[in-house]
Amino acid sequence: MNAKLTGYRRKELAWLYLFVAPPVLGFLLFGLAPIVFSIYISFQKWDMLTEPQWVGLGNYNDILNDGKVFISMYNTVYLMIGIPIGMLLSLLLAILMNRKFKGISFMRTIYYLPVISPIIAISLLWQWILNQDYGLLNNYLWDVFGIQGPNWLGDPNWVKPSLILIGLWGGLGANMVLYLAGLQSVSSTYYEAAEIDGAGAWHKFSKITVPLLSPIHFFILVMGVIGAFQTFSQIYVLATDGGPEYSGATIVFYIFQHAFKYFNMGYASAAAWLLGVMIFIITLLQFKLSKRWVYQD
Amino acid sequence: MKRNQPWVGTVVLSGMLVLSACSGNNGPAEAPNAPTTPSNQENTATEGNKEPVTIEFMGHGNPNEKKIFEALIAAFEEEYPNVTVKYTSVPPGEYSQKLTTLVSSGKAPDVFYVGGSEFYRFAEAGTVLNIQSFLDQTDLFHPDNVWETALNRYRYDGSNVGAGDLYGLPKDVGPWAFVYNKTLFEEAGVAPPPAEAGAWTWDDLLEAAQQLTIDENGDGKPDQYGVGAYSLESAVWGNGGQFIDYDTGTVMVDQPEFYEAMQYVADLSLVHGVSPNQEAEQALNAYTRFLNGKLAMFAMGPWDQPAFWELPFEWDIAAWPASPNTGETATWLGSMGLAISAKSDHPQEAFDLAAFLSLDEDGQRENYQLGQAVPNLIDMARGEFLEQDKAPASRQVFLDIIEDYGRPDVPALSKDTQWIDTFWQDASKVWNGNMSAKDFTAEIQPKMQELYDKGNK
Repeated sequence: MNAKLTGYRRKELAWLYLFVAPPVLGFLLFGLAPIVFSIYISFQKWDMLTEPQWVGLGNYNDILNDGKVFISMYNTVYLMIGIPIGMLLSLLLAILMNRKFKGISFMRTIYYLPVISPIIAISLLWQWILNQDYGLLNNYLWDVFGIQGPNWLGDPNWVKPSLILIGLWGGLGANMVLYLAGLQSVSSTYYEAAEIDGAGAWHKFSKITVPLLSPIHFFILVMGVIGAFQTFSQIYVLATDGGPEYSGATIVFYIFQHAFKYFNMGYASAAAWLLGVMIFIITLLQFKLSKRWVYQD
Repeated sequence: MKRNQPWVGTVVLSGMLVLSACSGNNGPAEAPNAPTTPSNQENTATEGNKEPVTIEFMGHGNPNEKKIFEALIAAFEEEYPNVTVKYTSVPPGEYSQKLTTLVSSGKAPDVFYVGGSEFYRFAEAGTVLNIQSFLDQTDLFHPDNVWETALNRYRYDGSNVGAGDLYGLPKDVGPWAFVYNKTLFEEAGVAPPPAEAGAWTWDDLLEAAQQLTIDENGDGKPDQYGVGAYSLESAVWGNGGQFIDYDTGTVMVDQPEFYEAMQYVADLSLVHGVSPNQEAEQALNAYTRFLNGKLAMFAMGPWDQPAFWELPFEWDIAAWPASPNTGETATWLGSMGLAISAKSDHPQEAFDLAAFLSLDEDGQRENYQLGQAVPNLIDMARGEFLEQDKAPASRQVFLDIIEDYGRPDVPALSKDTQWIDTFWQDASKVWNGNMSAKDFTAEIQPKMQELYDKGNK
């Protein structure tokens, strides 16, 4: 310890370390240690029962030679189509909700409700809505439009659009709240100045609202991409064993199956690290690119 | 000194927090012992010198099974007063994860369910105890009176399952039987499938199914189907084919005996329309259709009996139709085992419990009377079980499967099941008619072989 410190300072420092210690130790023990261990395990063949065996890069090599990993990666990226659609819809919704009328908080609550509902409950609900013969959706399609709806969760071509639909419904509320906060922080002076210059509603929206919300766009995009990479629960419920012809399996589902169905912990750790590195690179790229389009004041 | 005291207190407190966080998992496991100890001591006083012992038992199953096991355990505790059993029932979907995690962290329950490929992995890893010496000493076990095929699944000789010393006891045997809705057959005036093997072939099945597939409202989609969820295993084995030759480790799905059988099963819906196609199955599975009385022929295990007893129509089981090419009948025979942790502190008591659950006469009687299983004890199965006054009338079929034409389910003898899981995942290409069984099996065989070699050799 530094000799210059007075007794009082020293004591205060000791207190500081004490209060900081539990979360730091907690992280080291339950956060960092498993992460480091999983790097080590990713070079091993380990079934949790017998001693791990060193296989070098064998796991990584096997992953890159397994067709299923590419299918699940493709599925995961496919699901990201939902991100821009969701951003557009939640922005529109936020603009609608950004007015003062009677019952506005009730409406906001309604749209936020899916966010606080457990994902398992939502998935079970949609399982019924999307049922081919008895589901609400296909019944409406038939009654109102006379269209025979597809087998949403049973047809390999429709599983992913169904999952996107569910994701949109569930995620709209959370993004709406973010946009709402963004909208309310846009100063009205911009709009007044634009009006004096003769700008119409569309111009105000496209030249003022959208650019000034760019930090929010950015945040939603980054979180959306990371979230999409981590999609798991709804797959686990809706797509038994990855869905027809593995059409619903995401990369995390793939990892889960190898970890907790086949107990190839080394293989699963290796796949998780590949995913982690990929998310890191993509997020880094997004941050670099963001300098070109995100407006920071 | 006095001024420092709060500081000391905080150190102790935060230290305790960290410690309790580390040891959090040990605490609860020990705690349940405490309240039961007094009653044990009481028993010890009357019983003699036996130490009170607590053993943990973990299983899975539906609420019915849980209730039965609670009753069986109570009976066990009465007979062995010094032993207290802590029973945990886990939802079947989470069981394997939970068990493997407990085993790998050194906290395996003393007695637990283990079946199929898991047993193989556990036996190889030395997780389950060799119980041969215990078996030789108990008077509950008469090897001639327990189904040999069930016992063999829990033998391990140091490299393979199926021979050698016993490492577990069967909790049950699960013959996968062919079941039909008797009322529908009678109404349609169709002769029902016979109970003796080989008397009915695939052609008879198809003919009956055609008569029993009915489009009631004329929308072009049948509302009642002839047959559902027809067992591919039964078709393949009956036709002389195999999924795999376990002796050589060769995946055999690309052989004609296999793909002909697979095509037959696929054609039941694709060509003949007597079985729900994949879309119809997705919308409403065969099990629900059968319960609703809209499916004439289906498959069941003994554990389905309680639900089927509630049905408003009559039903019975029959032999699986034989392949016309061979005249042979086959189906799979499942089993779940009871094993003892090699690290158990009380192997004798743990063994006593496993033996009681597997072999005790009263327990086995209760089990079959409640429609959970066929008795493990051969004399009971051939005697009072056959006379039980409940459906199915042709109970003998269950025993025929066990003794004669049932085979271990395909994954039971593999450590790693990815090779067969891949097959089932991709088989929808055949079920939905996008590929012929011949092309599909030719395409997938190398992939399955690679996965099998990687995980099992």
